[in-house]
Amino acid sequence: MAPRVTAATTEPSSEGQSTPPIHRRINPELVPGLMVLVCAIVLIAASKLMNPGAGFTQELAAVLGTSIFLVVASFGQGLTILLGGIDLSIGVVIGIAAMMISVLTDGRDATLPWAVPVTLAVGAAIGVVNGVGIALAKVPPFIMTLASGITFYGAGLGFTSGLAQEPVAPALERLMNGHWFGVPIPIFLIIAFVIAATVFQNGTSVGRKLYAIGSSPGAARVLGLPIGGLTVLAYTLSGLCAAIAGLFLAGYSSAATLDMGGPLLLPTIAAVVIGGASVMGGRGIYLGTFAGALFLSALETIITVLSLSQGLRDIIEGAIIVGALLAQGERWNWFRR
Amino acid sequence: MRIAERLRRLQISAGAAVAVLLYVLMYLVYAANESGVLSQFGITNLLNDTVVLAVAAAGLTLTVLTAEFDLSGIGVIAIANVVVATTSAGPAGWLVSLFGVLAIGAAVGLLNGWLVGVLRMQSLAVTIGTMIACEGVALLILAAPGGQVADSIANGLTGDLLGLPVAALIILGVLLLWFLLAVTRLGIALYAVGTDETAARLSGLAVRRTKLLAFVLAGMAYGLAGYMLSAQTGSGDPRASDGFLLFMYASVAIGGTSLMGGRGGVFGSVIGAGILTVMQKMLFALGAASFYTDVFSGLIMLVAILIGTLPRVMPRLRRSVA
Amino acid sequence: MKKRGFKRLLQRLIFGAASLGAAAAMALSVPAEAAPYKVFLDLSYSGNVWQTEAANGIKALAETPPYDKEVTFKTVISGTDVQHQISDLQSMIAAGANAILFYPVSGTGLNRVIEQGCRRHVLMVAYDSSVTAPCAYNVNSLGGRYGANSAQWMVNQMGGKGELVINHGVAGTALTNLMDRQALDVFHKYPGIRIVAQFYGNWNDALSQEGISRILAAHPNIDAIWTVDGTWGSFQAVMQHRPSRLVVIAGQSNNGYRLAIGDPALQEKGLKGLSASFGPADGPYAFKVMMEILTGELKPTEHNIAYPLPWVPYDKVKLCTGLSFVNGCNVFPPGKVPPLFIDTALNGELLPELNLTAVENGTPVPGATIQKLPPVQYSDNLPGVNCEECKAPSDWLQPNRVTPIPAPK
Repeated sequence: MAPRVTAATTEPSSEGQSTPPIHRRINPELVPGLMVLVCAIVLIAASKLMNPGAGFTQELAAVLGTSIFLVVASFGQGLTILLGGIDLSIGVVIGIAAMMISVLTDGRDATLPWAVPVTLAVGAAIGVVNGVGIALAKVPPFIMTLASGITFYGAGLGFTSGLAQEPVAPALERLMNGHWFGVPIPIFLIIAFVIAATVFQNGTSVGRKLYAIGSSPGAARVLGLPIGGLTVLAYTLSGLCAAIAGLFLAGYSSAATLDMGGPLLLPTIAAVVIGGASVMGGRGIYLGTFAGALFLSALETIITVLSLSQGLRDIIEGAIIVGALLAQGERWNWFRR
Repeated sequence: MRIAERLRRLQISAGAAVAVLLYVLMYLVYAANESGVLSQFGITNLLNDTVVLAVAAAGLTLTVLTAEFDLSGIGVIAIANVVVATTSAGPAGWLVSLFGVLAIGAAVGLLNGWLVGVLRMQSLAVTIGTMIACEGVALLILAAPGGQVADSIANGLTGDLLGLPVAALIILGVLLLWFLLAVTRLGIALYAVGTDETAARLSGLAVRRTKLLAFVLAGMAYGLAGYMLSAQTGSGDPRASDGFLLFMYASVAIGGTSLMGGRGGVFGSVIGAGILTVMQKMLFALGAASFYTDVFSGLIMLVAILIGTLPRVMPRLRRSVA
Repeated sequence: MKKRGFKRLLQRLIFGAASLGAAAAMALSVPAEAAPYKVFLDLSYSGNVWQTEAANGIKALAETPPYDKEVTFKTVISGTDVQHQISDLQSMIAAGANAILFYPVSGTGLNRVIEQGCRRHVLMVAYDSSVTAPCAYNVNSLGGRYGANSAQWMVNQMGGKGELVINHGVAGTALTNLMDRQALDVFHKYPGIRIVAQFYGNWNDALSQEGISRILAAHPNIDAIWTVDGTWGSFQAVMQHRPSRLVVIAGQSNNGYRLAIGDPALQEKGLKGLSASFGPADGPYAFKVMMEILTGELKPTEHNIAYPLPWVPYDKVKLCTGLSFVNGCNVFPPGKVPPLFIDTALNGELLPELNLTAVENGTPVPGATIQKLPPVQYSDNLPGVNCEECKAPSDWLQPNRVTPIPAPK
């Protein structure tokens, strides 16, 4: 299961080689995620303590329900980071997808069967552009995705002038705001997405190959892995996930603007890294990212409910992020020994 | 041959050389399409627009060379800006507030460097945390735009000194410091750590200290950038640097510094900052309006990088040329 | 070896020049017609509803006769970075602008470049957000005291007591600070009003909706929400989590929100809404003011010019049948515009040249001609917000449109 192919190059911090995995009780990939999950639960509990009047399940539902955009978008971000890259176009793709689904459906459910695939295809296509630029033209991912984000945002402005004139299809609104058996539908969506994403990343040969490329591109090349194709695939999936997040966000807000994805970009990166992935690539699992997304959502909840001035809020938020990193960081090396 | 050798030691890479040519080209297009570009007023304006990004990108380069991320720059710039706006016109004066912002930058850099270099936490996430916290501090110091930057700063740093724009002198000063740093032990260590950390440690380099110092120096550069921003705006605004981070990284990358560390240098980043600034002016002069500016900015950024990366894309070509 | 290296550089340079040339050729699409005035519009933020509608209204006016023959008009988007906007304003000044209408990204950071422009006799006009540079004109609704009046209106509707949530705008902006001070000053006069939570929704509907959702989980019994923008998102969150018991709410004029507060079925569930706040029409209005100053028709005696604050409480919502706001109607039927559409982009009295199509697409209304403005009104002077060395009126924190109720015992 442990997907690390070449451990030596992925652990810049380990002094010498770690001991073999005989004593491992817990998959070390899970440790950072677990620690962050614990941090998230502590935050939710703390928020419950501060507001004794609130129901715990409502709090949990609020944290989960508002995390769905981050949960989905950060999976794609995680794949690109797994390859040692990054995707800075995610915020723009979210906005473009949200705009497209409004324009294409124009408030009619009947259009969804073709409007959804078209929207997702456009998101994926932007990902393909990124992937091709990175894999074939060897543009650094940071610049490729930054530049394509700026360009597509400009193109989006040119086409739409920034505001969808059409309402979102009501079915999409019901999907994001409805309940099944008393539970918000987004929570079911999250569960399904997490299972699918985990199976893809850690249970398929494609996922394992992505780890191999991320931990050692040189070795992957020697093994004859299709590095170019897999890189394009990772960025395509990132574009696709961002487009899905855009659909959800449009449904949630019952409206779309081109700039609506912007505030999500930095959190997707933070969720992946807080979840234990290495920005150098080759390390991290999606459950960690998922925990990171929940943590950020819980943090946002507690910060919102605290009602402090924005200055203090920022300071606390920054300190808690660093604190969570400390909790999951190399301190916990003894789990591995 | 001797010159090529020396240039190499100063880390003026092929990427940076391409950036210089691109800059000159854009500048010529700009000057050909707009009157008054070559006047003293036009040159001083352009340099004033460049200097903040150039100094900030110069600092960022040091951490990027060691293969670390540093997103805290915009936070430090925000703090520096509001500190200068709230203190410099008062008893503190220009000199004390300059040392103040350098010290603040160094302190934030020290915190980053300690967390990243010593505790070995991931720089990307750590500096997201410190960036958010720094922006919070800036908001606590100044809740809304305001304050007053001393005239000695606002006028002194945006005007001319001995016939040369002060901004040009600052950029030259930063480059001079960089060239001095590049030949010291620390300068060499920056590259060694960024290229291969394990090898650097095995060969006896103090990896932790190198990273720590890189972050501290970067923080001081951000402080100086914030000081220059204050000079240009004449006031404080806790959100003035909001959109700045991606431009800082773009400057570094366009200047030929690898974001994976170990390759590039400050000179390229300063040129990269110049390219981004002159690109905006050039697009305006060419008549690009509204959303076209965004579209072309993205495309030109890609072209600039593509030209710089061609030698690495075609290693065989390179080998045959060498 | 050296020579071949140079050749390589040259090749790359030619490649670069070719692409730049292509870009330039595509960019050069602006006709070089000779019109007497060179006017620029400098936007900062882009891609949201408010900014888009304001910019479209301005563009439509610039193409409405006789302005279409009088101005060469160009729009530039500067983004949210102060340096970027400074650089663009410098370029416009250097390009020989007669007037620049701009949405300032900073209230103080642009002052130096604004003064550069004034020295070169460029007419500098800031809309919606304000600048403190004395030579610039500010056109906005600050004088309407949205903070104080909307807060007082809510207090009156709440009967002076209840649990209140405050959705601040963007932290670190002069406008948010000012509105907050006015609103909090009113709320604090009533001990029965309990502020249970405050957060920064950044004038953004998605963020506001998330914020209110989080708060409703912790404070399920809130009675009221005060906003400046992000109102539609805030309201959506209440509809989603507590549809049977709605709130007293004040804020922006999104069409969906206006329809909701005017709906008797929702009013029965406790929804009492006020639709006011700064409207995108202050941009086109500022453009007309600027043009009249430029042509010499208008000689304002002060630099802070008021655009009347939109004000539609729930009992004044009236459906429009056509494309314009005439006969006092102020909301479009559902389906005609998206719910986020901000109705205050239109103003039947001050901007009869514009209709729905104009602010949606930025195209002039066929057959319309520019009407002369009625005499302009002046706004409150607010030091640090729209002027530097000036005195605020003594009652700048007080509501001037709503009569306060006494605090309940």
